[in-house]
Amino acid sequence: MTVDHPTQTNPANKDTQEPSALVIGGGVAGMQAALDIANQGFKVHLVEKTPSIGGHMAAIDKTFPTLDCSACILTPRLSEVARHPNIELLTYSEVKRVTGKAGNFHVEVIRKPRYILEDKCSGCGDCSEVCPIEVANEFDEGLGFRKATYLPFPQATPNVYTIDKRDHPACRINCPAGVNAQAFVTLMNQKKYAEAIRIVRDAIPFPGTLGRVCVSWCEGQCQRGEYDESVSIRNLHRFLSDYEREHNTQVTVEPQIKRSERVAVVGAGPAGISCAYHLARKGYPVTVFEKRSEEGGLLKYAIPEYRLPRDILQEEIQWVAKHGVEFVCDREIQSIDELKDEGFKAVFIATGASHSNKLMIAGEDSKGVYHAIDFLDRVASHKPVELGERVVVIGGGDAAVDSCRTALRLGASEVTMIYRRSQVELPAIPSEVEMARQEGIRFMFLTNPVEVLTQKGTVQGVKCIRMRLGEPDHSGRRRPIPIPDSEFTVVADTMIIAVGQSVEPIPLHNDLDTTEWGTIITDQVTLQTSNEGVFAGGDCVLGPATVVQAVGQGEEAAISIDRYLNGLDIRAGRDPEVYRIARPKIDQSTFIPQARAEMPHQSIASRKGDFSEVELGFDEDTALDESGRCLNCTICCECMNCVEACDRDAIDHSMKEERLSLNVGAIVVATGYKLFEVSKYKRLGYGKFKNVITAMEFERLINAAGPTQGHLIRLSDGKMPKNIGFVQCVGARDTQKNVPHCSRVCCMYGIKNAVMAREHDPEAKVSIYYADIRAFGKGFEEFFEMSKTRFGVNFVRGRVGEVDENPENDNLMIQVENTETGSVEKVEHDLLVISPGLLPADDVNILAEELGIALSDEGYIDVRNELTSPVDTSKMGIFVCGCADGPKDIPDSVTAGSAAAMRASIVLGGMIAGQDSEHTIESLAPEAELETTKSR
Amino acid sequence: MHTCTTKGQEKSIHVPTSAFAKEVEKVEGGEAINKCIQCGICTASCVVANATDLYRPRRMIQKIILGLREEVLSSDQSWLCLNCRMCEERCQEGVSPAEIFLAVRTIAAREGHVPRVFKEAVKTVLEDGWMLKDAYTDFQEDEREDLGLNPELHMNNEFVGKLRKRYFERKKAAEESGS
Repeated sequence: MTVDHPTQTNPANKDTQEPSALVIGGGVAGMQAALDIANQGFKVHLVEKTPSIGGHMAAIDKTFPTLDCSACILTPRLSEVARHPNIELLTYSEVKRVTGKAGNFHVEVIRKPRYILEDKCSGCGDCSEVCPIEVANEFDEGLGFRKATYLPFPQATPNVYTIDKRDHPACRINCPAGVNAQAFVTLMNQKKYAEAIRIVRDAIPFPGTLGRVCVSWCEGQCQRGEYDESVSIRNLHRFLSDYEREHNTQVTVEPQIKRSERVAVVGAGPAGISCAYHLARKGYPVTVFEKRSEEGGLLKYAIPEYRLPRDILQEEIQWVAKHGVEFVCDREIQSIDELKDEGFKAVFIATGASHSNKLMIAGEDSKGVYHAIDFLDRVASHKPVELGERVVVIGGGDAAVDSCRTALRLGASEVTMIYRRSQVELPAIPSEVEMARQEGIRFMFLTNPVEVLTQKGTVQGVKCIRMRLGEPDHSGRRRPIPIPDSEFTVVADTMIIAVGQSVEPIPLHNDLDTTEWGTIITDQVTLQTSNEGVFAGGDCVLGPATVVQAVGQGEEAAISIDRYLNGLDIRAGRDPEVYRIARPKIDQSTFIPQARAEMPHQSIASRKGDFSEVELGFDEDTALDESGRCLNCTICCECMNCVEACDRDAIDHSMKEERLSLNVGAIVVATGYKLFEVSKYKRLGYGKFKNVITAMEFERLINAAGPTQGHLIRLSDGKMPKNIGFVQCVGARDTQKNVPHCSRVCCMYGIKNAVMAREHDPEAKVSIYYADIRAFGKGFEEFFEMSKTRFGVNFVRGRVGEVDENPENDNLMIQVENTETGSVEKVEHDLLVISPGLLPADDVNILAEELGIALSDEGYIDVRNELTSPVDTSKMGIFVCGCADGPKDIPDSVTAGSAAAMRASIVLGGMIAGQDSEHTIESLAPEAELETTKSR
Repeated sequence: MHTCTTKGQEKSIHVPTSAFAKEVEKVEGGEAINKCIQCGICTASCVVANATDLYRPRRMIQKIILGLREEVLSSDQSWLCLNCRMCEERCQEGVSPAEIFLAVRTIAAREGHVPRVFKEAVKTVLEDGWMLKDAYTDFQEDEREDLGLNPELHMNNEFVGKLRKRYFERKKAAEESGS
């Protein structure tokens, strides 16, 4: 066996290879086949798709006709398989490719990642206990719940937990800072606020700040948005921060500086602070240099206080400082050498892009004209601003909206925003635009200023021109084109220009390669500049971007610097991955849309006058309600609670799919069956009426290890049923549903279930509705008789026509003709159990194609000759047993398992004897016989 | 004794049980009669059987299979079917009682077993061109008058003529030329 080299076969091994067999499917038939082959001294690879072997038998309560406990029979066999030295158990695995022929098959097996190391896990269940995710339990037919970290059933073999994780969550993948939104939303839904905010803080130091100002890419891609509205992720982490402040539950932080290499960060904006934070958490002593007198960058000097109260920002910066980060303000770094001379081993440059762009029109330098960043800076630093009555703001970004609302708060009576494209292209956060509109800001779309009108050097108005939208430009937005002769004048005494920012040319940048726009050139992944050991990120690299992108780059740079200082390859393994976004499993028919929670606002009248915060934040109930809207797209949310809980280091969330390649002499297919989907019978009301259940659900309900601990109850009200009906021949012997064949087991398991119902409650009335009872096996007829005489099961010969629900008590009214009397009976039952027929397992056709074996008309695997070679498939060396070739009961499945094992052993034995394997095969089934008996 | 059939061909496992069943099998619509296993889902699903104890579709099929020819043909049962085809929709064996009753009615009509009510209805139509002449009352006359319509109804003899030609005379002619 070679791992991870699917194409490479080991030539040295080929001749001396010990004969081995592959068994596909770990149900009772596959187990039997594996044990019988293994007991003859051959090696067996047992491949099972689900996390545990045992198949359907593990879920069944009792066997017929002896009423033995299914688990009591099966469990010793499970451990026998697990302990057998010749059996290699490959659970949670699937056969992908099969080539070769009898005596020499090459098989490729995919091992799905279970994210738990099988050799380390002891099955203690500590991981499952702390797992916050609950999903419907497939093993209990969806009646109970299991965690994302789960053991399908207590006797599961191998006794190893599995983490159910699918693809990647859209919210987390789309967050530039990689905040694990799904995890913190899930945890906060369970009121684990401290754990939730810890997850946010693993990625960003700013849950409160970004909870207010983030543009929230996560919400843009949130899969819930495909059904109704995306989850309000941003406001939820703001709630976590608010809750922490309100309840004083901040964790105390001690500096964990354990490294000697000092790192310098230039610029104390979001990128710089984020980088310093992550480096400090890694144990580096970091010094952040800031040329202004206070830390915060544009968060402090541009974003208005009504959006981001300064105490929130200050506390979060202080929290970073508590990690041992040193902030040095009022110092402008002139060159990289200056830092290197001071002994810094690595540098991160995050000097931002705070230089306002100019419109380049006449009169732009007049009195009364401000540029947005300067204007917002003056206001934020409480410097005097001369503002007139009528203010026009040019631009459509967040700075423009901020300028409008700030001007209004400073007392302007009329504020107009002028934007050259239409409202659709407006780049500002929509909720901000809406609030600005509510506050009375006027919007003038498709308008562009051409000249500032002045008198004595003071603004009097703006001459504008109307625009129309042409073809999309390189940014994907439609290009605005001036409409000739459409000039008009807007009267104004103050004008604020917010048409973007650019990087200010500062001396420090002279040491580095820059683009023609002045942004610093870095490696896209590592953020290293042209100067080794010097990294850069945030707006000074991206050009004016968003806070969360800057924070994300700070984190990436911290990883690079850590690797750089450890002398590691800073690039290895960091290439952008291709992600598959997980789509949640939603049943559209039962999905109830729920609008996202609305953010409460301060009233318009009170907020217009000052800079107090506009958005008030969610209260606890709203936050819990909103977090409950998360659909858990990937099931496991990677909160890492399990990793912490596991004492044996058995959990590895980075596990990848593994490919094994096996060489085997013979293959036994034991893929089993699936039950017919009874919801296809609309008239029986399954899925619509709560008290109509399937036989398998009934098995789980009466099973002591089931979701009700063996208490047979109605799903509508939890009451014990007193009058149970069993409906036979559903999804079997039905030409209309394309299942004309008899499923062979339904009569007997139906009778068994009826008997068990009487066993559970001797008072209950139990009726079986059947067309004819096929009691053909050993002891079956006696069992059928006994069910009538000893257990008092009432048999009614007639197929059920209609099922209707009594709305008063959720009982079921059925209509049936008792064909023995000819009377049409309307019977009321309080529980109706449908006995579905058997179908070939899912994807058995794909497997058959890969194996090159024929299927019968019903979709089961065809056998070569029912009389002389009942377990041989159409291809030599491949055998079949259990329900893979047709419905069977447990004894017949086991018999077939042994038979298939025998046939496989003949092939393997031939290999040992040195015989030509084809010769052996010929002795198995002479060619001539094949032709004539093929289609009896 | 086993009979081998090649795969793909339908195996003839059902053997007609009576001469009458064989006869019905040959009439259009009656082909599937022998597939019936008497499970009773037709009766359980039947709207007529739901309303009256007098009508039992499964019983009828059973009588056909048993060969009770005279009883079936002279009975009103097959004429009570509303042809809603719910039985056909639900039958798991691919039998359509509705189709079979059509076949039975064909045979019965050929031999003159048509219930009186059907005969009279046809007679009325052929005479009046209108089945519900008796239902035309003074009230409706007044209403027509109010609406500005002619209260005198003129039976459309042209239509009746065509009807006779299409369904009665042509058939008679065909039968005569056939015999």
